Amino acid sequence: MAVSSQLFGELFAAFGLAVIGYYLVINAYYLWIHGLALLELRDDVRESNWTPPFRQFASPFYPGIGIIMPAYNESATIIESVQSMLSLNYPELEIIVVNDGSTDDTLQRLIDNFDLQTVDADIPIDVPTEEVRAVYRSTSYEELLIVDKENGGKSDALNAGIWLTDMPLFCAVDSDTIIDRDALLQLVRPFLEQPASAVASGGVIRVANECTIEKGVVKSVELPKTGLPGLQVMEYLRAFYSGRLGLNRINGLILISGAFGLFRTEVVREIGGYRHDTITEDFDIVVRLHRYLIDEKREYTVDFIPEPVAWTEVPATRRVLGRQRRRWYRGMVETVVTNRAMLFNRKYGRVGTVIFPFFVAAEMFGPLIEGLGYIILPLAWYFDILNVQFFLIFFFLTTGFGVFLSWFGIFSEVWSFNRYDSPWQILRLLWYGILENFGYRQWKTIVAWQGLIEYLKGVDTWGAMERSGFKTEDD
Amino acid sequence: MATLISLFGYSVPLTVILVGIALVIGLALAVMFWITIGWSTYQSVKSDRRQAVSDELQGELLDRVFDPDVDWQSWIAGMSPTERTVLRSLLDEYLRELDGREADRLRELGVALDIPARSQKQLQRRGEYTHLNALTWLTLLERPDEYVDSAFEPRTPRERAATVRLLYESEALDDASEGLSLLLENSVSQFTVFGQDTLYRVASDDPQALLETAAANYQTWSQPLLIQVLTVFQYLGTSVSTENLSWLTATLEHESERVRATAARSLGSFGWRVDIREQAFLERLVNDPAPRVRQAVYEMLASWGDEQSLRTLIDALAAEDDARARLVGTTALAKRQERIDVDISTKLGQTWEWSREHAEYNTAARRRTDQVRG
Repeated sequence: MAVSSQLFGELFAAFGLAVIGYYLVINAYYLWIHGLALLELRDDVRESNWTPPFRQFASPFYPGIGIIMPAYNESATIIESVQSMLSLNYPELEIIVVNDGSTDDTLQRLIDNFDLQTVDADIPIDVPTEEVRAVYRSTSYEELLIVDKENGGKSDALNAGIWLTDMPLFCAVDSDTIIDRDALLQLVRPFLEQPASAVASGGVIRVANECTIEKGVVKSVELPKTGLPGLQVMEYLRAFYSGRLGLNRINGLILISGAFGLFRTEVVREIGGYRHDTITEDFDIVVRLHRYLIDEKREYTVDFIPEPVAWTEVPATRRVLGRQRRRWYRGMVETVVTNRAMLFNRKYGRVGTVIFPFFVAAEMFGPLIEGLGYIILPLAWYFDILNVQFFLIFFFLTTGFGVFLSWFGIFSEVWSFNRYDSPWQILRLLWYGILENFGYRQWKTIVAWQGLIEYLKGVDTWGAMERSGFKTEDD
Repeated sequence: MATLISLFGYSVPLTVILVGIALVIGLALAVMFWITIGWSTYQSVKSDRRQAVSDELQGELLDRVFDPDVDWQSWIAGMSPTERTVLRSLLDEYLRELDGREADRLRELGVALDIPARSQKQLQRRGEYTHLNALTWLTLLERPDEYVDSAFEPRTPRERAATVRLLYESEALDDASEGLSLLLENSVSQFTVFGQDTLYRVASDDPQALLETAAANYQTWSQPLLIQVLTVFQYLGTSVSTENLSWLTATLEHESERVRATAARSLGSFGWRVDIREQAFLERLVNDPAPRVRQAVYEMLASWGDEQSLRTLIDALAAEDDARARLVGTTALAKRQERIDVDISTKLGQTWEWSREHAEYNTAARRRTDQVRG
């Protein structure tokens, strides 16, 4: 017993030292990224404060954009989403809704609301997806095209749109996403300024729960009143806003949200479109683009633009959020394993030697190590080898730093394109930055472990997102 | 917890180090909290104050814009700094929307608000965005003299574009060549869309000048810049009388597919030129090894739209083995279907049927939109 206790004690000490070292390195990296984010944001704010004296709509130089919106059982929100897309300010637009074998009345609602008629002619090109059952055109909206196909998953639906669009750029959006009216004019900027090298750009995703949506436009921005969506607002600000701004500063963006990203159609077709066997297709496609373009020795940029905003409904219950996060985790592991050749590979430059390894260390191993800690600590306490004082100081240090990074994200928001006008809303966001460390963060480590187990078991289900629909002025 | 850490020759208990770090983090948190809340409150108060005067000012401004005898000076005399800020913001918005007499009156308001003099001072300061904002105001107010009388010299591509825009909008350019030389001289990097649009506007007045500039300099330009200039030609008028298009046809032999494709599209504006419609030349174009370039050539032929071009296009599409290139070609051809008097369904098959049907839906939807708009 004494030997095993001593062995456990030594193992525990080694684990503790490794964890301390790990946290120091990862947090230093995060601090660096958030510092870069401030520099990037400063430039972006300056840029956005200057509106060139010309009429954008009269300019012929905006390349056409095909908006591709996969829809699977999205009956509750599909009409408002399409209306939102139809009301976007952009000179040349095509909207392709891909009904991915919905079992509800998504397609019928589209047919009824947009005067759809079937295209009789066969599709003249090979579309590498599940069978396309029919293509519909609207007799009211020239820019609207509906594709009805057998269910094949989100990647498959996106590929159908990518192969059928005539536009040089395509914007992948989720069907539950509401895009700001001028968002595309901003998101397209890298393609206008670097016409030969820009291949992708992503905008900001914000939480639409509790926001009032009218005719596909966000009329008033409210912070969710319930804890779970509120915590996600803060999370999105930290990870999807501040974090990506920092990575953009060093052309190291490896993730563009599937809910709102703009890509060069031709290049995505060259890499075969979205992979069918992945469940986080948005992460996978950007990593593969980096890999392909570096392999091909082509100059390219992947950009993040902080001002164009897309709004999405986030899970409001622990069950649905858990399912979503397990899927994200599984997909992340899958993409990392698939592209492991990039790790520490100097051929892939900064992305291969710094960004991708740190991403794996922080996002993939971070929650696992933390989760392991929650199991080992009670054991260490039981075996009386836990220095409680040291543990408490370490816990509050890491928590304090975590809160600091969250608040950094909120500060970035307040300082730049603030959508939450009231200081009370900001105060609540700051509170969420503290609150997430007590319960929510620990729960996410369990979800990560569950995601890993699901990955190892080969689970490849998507899982349904249950939506309540957007809040309107009548609600 | 008695662990000692050796630091700069001293032994320090680990707890002390951790407590030190905790103090630093605590301080950082306190600073971050108060900065965030403080800035949020400041912005909120500022926004509320502006909102409070905005509606009233907007109404009063609109009343005065349509009054031919408006006296701006007496109206703005007693205004607070907040009201003036809101007024400047409204002025900026309306000057971008309105034309004619109303815009002229708004420009007088800009002068009453002392914006030209302030902009001139800003041109003497440092900072690209300071210069850009000043040049933008002078453009909106059509006040080139403040720039001309200043010692300011544009240095960055954006500053050059903003300066040319000011001179162009104020009709202060001697000729298009002056603007083009300011925009393109020693230019190596590509334009922003604003710069490209400015190039297009200036060249629209005299396409010949851009053709000559391009013929002399195109080999020194970077590939992105060359693509941007070629794209401008795509939208320019067709009445260019220059004899020399050899530089443009030379870009059709460029090693880059993207350059060749853009060059082909830009030739869409020159369909009336006999020399570029020579059959052997067209044969070479429709046989380009890159499908992307052939797509552009098909669009060019459809844009010319005469009988010979359409016949060449139909023959090329019948022989095309790249499905997407064929689709792009038939889509372009469908826009000219009223000029086709032969049955091409058997020749082009389902690709043609697909394109024709989509063209019909486009027409139907457009007709419906026109009806709704009355």
